Amino acid sequence: MKTSNIKELLDKIKENPYKTIVVKTPHCGTIEFVVGEGEEVKGPRGKYKEQPGTLLAYLTRENNQKPLYAQERGIISKIYPFQKGDFVEANTPILEIKHYLTKEEVLELILKETLYLFRAPEKGKYYFVPEIDKRIKAKGCQKVKLHPGEEVLILSRMKRETFLPYEGPEGIIYHLYFKPGQSLNAEDILFGVCPPEDLESIKEVVLKVKSEWEEK
Amino acid sequence: MKKHKILVANRGEIALRIMQACLNLGHDFVAVYTEEDKESLHCRFAQEKGGEKSLFKISSYQDANEILAVADYSQATAIHPGYGFFAEDYRFARRVVTRSKPLIFIGPNWKIIKELGDKIQTKRLARKLDVPTVPGSDRPIYDELEAEELARDLFIFQKEQGIEHPVILIKASAGGGGMGIEEVGDMDRFRSVLRRLRNYAQRQFGNDGVLIEQRVFDFNHLEVQIVADRHGQVVHFGTRNCTIQSTGRQKRIEVAPGFYPKTINYAFDAQKVLQDIVKYSLRIAREVKYDNVGTWEWIVSPTGQPFLMEVNTRIQVENGVSAIISRVKGQEVNLIEEQIRLGLGEKLNYSQKDISFQGVGIEYRIIAESPEENFTPWVGTITRFSYPNYPWLQVFSHVPQDKPYEIPTDFDPNLALAIVWGKDLEEAKRHGLKFLEEVVLEGENKKGEKLKSNLNFLKAKTSEILVF
Amino acid sequence: MLLLDIEKELQFLEEKLTYIKDIFAHKQNENILLLESKLKDFKNSYKNINLAEAKRKLNSLKDLFTFLENKLDRQLTPMDKVRIVRHPQRICLKDILENVYDNYTEIGGQDEYSIDPSMLIARAYITRKVGKKIYNQPVMVIGQEKGHGEEFRNGGSVKPWGNAKALQYMKVAERENIPIHTYVFTPGAYPIEDYPGAAQQIARNLYEMAGLKVPIIAVFSEGGSGGAEAIALADMRLMLSHGYYSVISPEGAAAIEGRIRGKEKASPELIEQCASQLKMTADDNLVMGYIDRIIKEPPLGARPEHFDFFKQLRNEVIKATDEVVLRVRGISLFRYLVLRKLKNPEIYVRWALGAKAKERLLENRYRKFRKMSQHAYIDGRNNLTKIKDKSEELFWAGYSLLHYDILRRHKQVVSQLTEDIKGEIHVLLNRAKTSYHKFMCRFSWFHKRKANVCQLLSLSDWDGHKQETTPYLSPQAKVDKTITCPNASKEGCLDLWAPDLFGEMAGVCSYCGHHFPMEHEWYLYNVFDAHSLREFNQDIEATNPLDFANFSHKLETAKKKTGQKSACLTFEGKIKGIEVVVAVLTAKFRGGTVGAAEGEKFIRAVEKARLKHRPFIAYVHGTAGIRIQEGTNGVIQMPRCTLAIRNYLEAGGLYIVVYDTNSYAGPVASFLGCSPYQFAIRSSNIGFAGPGVIKETTGLEIPPDYHKAYHALSRGHIQGIWDRRQMRANLYQALLTMGGRYLYYH
Repeated sequence: MKTSNIKELLDKIKENPYKTIVVKTPHCGTIEFVVGEGEEVKGPRGKYKEQPGTLLAYLTRENNQKPLYAQERGIISKIYPFQKGDFVEANTPILEIKHYLTKEEVLELILKETLYLFRAPEKGKYYFVPEIDKRIKAKGCQKVKLHPGEEVLILSRMKRETFLPYEGPEGIIYHLYFKPGQSLNAEDILFGVCPPEDLESIKEVVLKVKSEWEEK
Repeated sequence: MKKHKILVANRGEIALRIMQACLNLGHDFVAVYTEEDKESLHCRFAQEKGGEKSLFKISSYQDANEILAVADYSQATAIHPGYGFFAEDYRFARRVVTRSKPLIFIGPNWKIIKELGDKIQTKRLARKLDVPTVPGSDRPIYDELEAEELARDLFIFQKEQGIEHPVILIKASAGGGGMGIEEVGDMDRFRSVLRRLRNYAQRQFGNDGVLIEQRVFDFNHLEVQIVADRHGQVVHFGTRNCTIQSTGRQKRIEVAPGFYPKTINYAFDAQKVLQDIVKYSLRIAREVKYDNVGTWEWIVSPTGQPFLMEVNTRIQVENGVSAIISRVKGQEVNLIEEQIRLGLGEKLNYSQKDISFQGVGIEYRIIAESPEENFTPWVGTITRFSYPNYPWLQVFSHVPQDKPYEIPTDFDPNLALAIVWGKDLEEAKRHGLKFLEEVVLEGENKKGEKLKSNLNFLKAKTSEILVF
Repeated sequence: MLLLDIEKELQFLEEKLTYIKDIFAHKQNENILLLESKLKDFKNSYKNINLAEAKRKLNSLKDLFTFLENKLDRQLTPMDKVRIVRHPQRICLKDILENVYDNYTEIGGQDEYSIDPSMLIARAYITRKVGKKIYNQPVMVIGQEKGHGEEFRNGGSVKPWGNAKALQYMKVAERENIPIHTYVFTPGAYPIEDYPGAAQQIARNLYEMAGLKVPIIAVFSEGGSGGAEAIALADMRLMLSHGYYSVISPEGAAAIEGRIRGKEKASPELIEQCASQLKMTADDNLVMGYIDRIIKEPPLGARPEHFDFFKQLRNEVIKATDEVVLRVRGISLFRYLVLRKLKNPEIYVRWALGAKAKERLLENRYRKFRKMSQHAYIDGRNNLTKIKDKSEELFWAGYSLLHYDILRRHKQVVSQLTEDIKGEIHVLLNRAKTSYHKFMCRFSWFHKRKANVCQLLSLSDWDGHKQETTPYLSPQAKVDKTITCPNASKEGCLDLWAPDLFGEMAGVCSYCGHHFPMEHEWYLYNVFDAHSLREFNQDIEATNPLDFANFSHKLETAKKKTGQKSACLTFEGKIKGIEVVVAVLTAKFRGGTVGAAEGEKFIRAVEKARLKHRPFIAYVHGTAGIRIQEGTNGVIQMPRCTLAIRNYLEAGGLYIVVYDTNSYAGPVASFLGCSPYQFAIRSSNIGFAGPGVIKETTGLEIPPDYHKAYHALSRGHIQGIWDRRQMRANLYQALLTMGGRYLYYH
């Protein structure tokens, strides 16, 4: 990918540097909002992300009042019309957060355009094979080099597991787009691979984004 | 009769059958579903037949809190667990009836679920009542010397029974779901296998007790359908044979009755075996004061010895195959309706002598899978699904026939159940094959590959039905 | 006198004034103002007057300084003393080595090049002339080195490996049979968890010091809690008159009292108030009996230029060492006579001890600490109970002597003999049995008659499902609500229904295994045999020995809420028939903190276990540390209880500690942490200081799982992690596999 294209892409993102995060209920319960529209919220903080983000709402189910915290910083752009004490079903949108993209997120967007993307062939849950999983946990994914045909993932569905070989150019796993064990649909991106010859140009992209993108 | 509102804590075809039963009985119902299940017919049925506020989206069928939150909000008075999920979870059953806002649990009393859910307790109960069980220990063994003596006796015993290559199983008494089981074919290996298993069990389950049992080969899998009310009346609805299974021990064809000595030759007195297992099952049901529907699972050895395996304290997938051959005072019967009726506290209102049996029923489980490849499930979208209509046929399915349906991956892969009836075994098999010929099931996955199903497997296996 | 000299003197006085101001901090004081103005006057005027006049004026100014310093000295508040001790001009251990000892070699450290520059070790000697003869008496000098403000000394806050080094050289001194002089100059230990952690190492030090067979003399300047105890379990404890010895810094106490969190600061008034309430001065500690003597410092505290003070310190440490040695040497009548020698420092006393004297030394050390803090709790037992307890004690003493010491030896011989014979017979019988079997197996009817085959098919006898413990219903299980597991977001645990969770599931998350806290009663019911627990010493009661403000009320509330009289409950009980003595620290009584009553109960329980030859189990349902409102009455429980534990273990006892929920600070750093068999219930935290304190004292931000039991296990602090539901089985297993030398004899 050419540098000019990246600049173009970056400019396009700069035009609308926001992402709308729709917060949904994790389960059923009665809702009570704590924040209001237009308020600023923060994501988890602390060196170890040990402090939760801003309290958005309480969801009470079976006498258990559970706090819902913001996962990203931003501004509350919309609150869905529920009254305090309304019963909401699982997976119901309750509010939206307008979130200014961070460096990492911009990078992720741009990398999607530059890396070779390995996608989920089928619906199901995906895990790395133990050997690769170990290497990723120990040294990070960028130390893992993949060859076409190598068994890289375990696909788990209907209580059965099958091995999935990697297909694509040889290279390192540059970025992970899923969490192992997450339920994915077919065509969802699993990870991005960077062929060795592209490594330098990708590093440039990263540098460019890091220097040009200012977080708000 | 008081009108109830029953929360159906399940999905797919059983949810459909329960909702229908509620309608037939004049009760209201509430259904639940999850995001990935929104295309299932059980959702459509709930919305069409249940009126407003009869369908709720929950995060998971396995989360009791979701079910109960919906039950309270929708003002349900009872919960039907179906099969799987919470059907045999005594804690759930107990919570339903002991919470500050109690509901009726449509199933046996939680104490019975708990007692019969404990395999050791069940085995001991059976032995107490002189009901035959698999030869071996009926309590966890912790002492190595005792275990060895038992194993040695078990080998000698099998030899005496004429078994040429006796095998014993060592099971972690705290294990379950096939975990912590080892086979031993000779005494010399016993001690090392025992030690390995005990270490494993200690690590895995925090308890190193073991059970030692004979391994029974080439058995037939039989069931006795018990129905009881909350007032002490217990009857049976005959036997079933569920021997035709996948390699992973999942049932594929169920037949009622359990044997067919009229036209098939058995190496033993099949009629007597059926009578015996019914007699034994009733004996246990009466002893524990069983109070809803339940299934007593048996294995029958090639020499015709029955052994009680376990009791399933729930309605089973294959309940319909027993119902289709049964008549109560000459009328057709629906065991799910019976379960709901009795679960809500009504009396049985008939006795064993009012129950008669006619003909043979066969149930096929239609699944998108590849029996040739170790029954690997096939994942994709069903594009066409249709089946014929006959008086001798019932089909239960949550798969819509009017639009494509993507098979959700989080659940058991059953697509449809087909129950056929014949006045005798031959006719039932003929009807079965006819149905299997005429059913249409087509689909495609993301790669454009055609759907794989077990229809051919079911056809091929039809000839083996009830042969032993 | 030259002008230059005057200027020098002037500068000296100015420094003195600065020091005085430092000590009195921000406080207005007319004496200081007077000094300030007089000094200023002189400074402005001396250049304009003649030299003689200036000299005269200077001398009177110096006299004024001396006079007012004395006056100010009498006005010192406890907090002023804290400032004296912390002042960079305060004498440090290096100064003492230079001025008190006649020669020394520092061991393993050259300024910052040391495993821990805040811990200083030196071999030194004191030269004594007796007549014409010269004796060089070697000692091991160990102490925290604060230096004079050097960064690398870390303010005398010792890291675990610094304390390990101290311990190593204490053992060297023991081998070399020379006394140990320790100098306590620490605000507290550096509270990190490492290999080992702070608590782990301090506990080791205390345990070893409890049994160190050489005289130990400790001199306190700054005695900051656990860090101080790490080198202060001594036969003679001296204290500098301007020092402090406390359970916690006044700022720390004020933060707790004022419920200060995060970046806020407690007010200076509250800090002053806490400093005086904690009774941390030398006089306070002498009155309470936690130090033996006070060494008088010059007004406003000793600084390096106070050479007379060093001479006095030298005399005091020599006298103290002599005294300890003479008390244990020789026969008692003679000992009494020689003690009189002490009055004459010119008489030489040899400091090496013989075998018998070493035994007596340890006995004396035990007794010394055993007697402490008796005033700081209430013994609510009536006279009848006291007589009953005493006679029971006497009975068991006699019984144990007969049973374990006299009969045991004989029986051992006899039983060994019978076991040998039994073994022989068994071999013979087995041979016979095998051939019999081989013979009988030819007949098939033999098998059929064997009862064993019957067991394969019909019901066997089994009493395994019989209830061995008493059923217990947690109050937490009576609420119809659900609970969210703290690992839910990570592990996907579903909400748990309280009646299930706190009932059958014993507070364990069925998805991830997280252990929710259960009340200590759960353990009493589920770990010990049904109806086997008998509580004792329940009438020993916690009190407010320092009259700490507002504390009596808080204590009463705790007593009312829990129905307990202290945080420590002691029982006799059984685990699968094995009789044990148990001490429980309960979290719900003042956070399981340990004060004089708790310490006393713990010691009495240990003594009972020793007397009755029973295993001793400490179940720590949670402890936040030493109860700060009791001041040194609390801290002293660290050495006291550790001495009791050591006595018990050396006598062949088995001591098992099980930690639960959160266990921190003093108790972990002493009598709990010294057990060779420490286990933790899953999901518990073990450590020295909590995250807040670590942040404040070290500036480190620790990860949230820093104190988790798994880390304590990796660090070697604990020896295993137990599932709560397995505690009974695991304890039984431990009792079977780790039996002490004198246990389980029937």
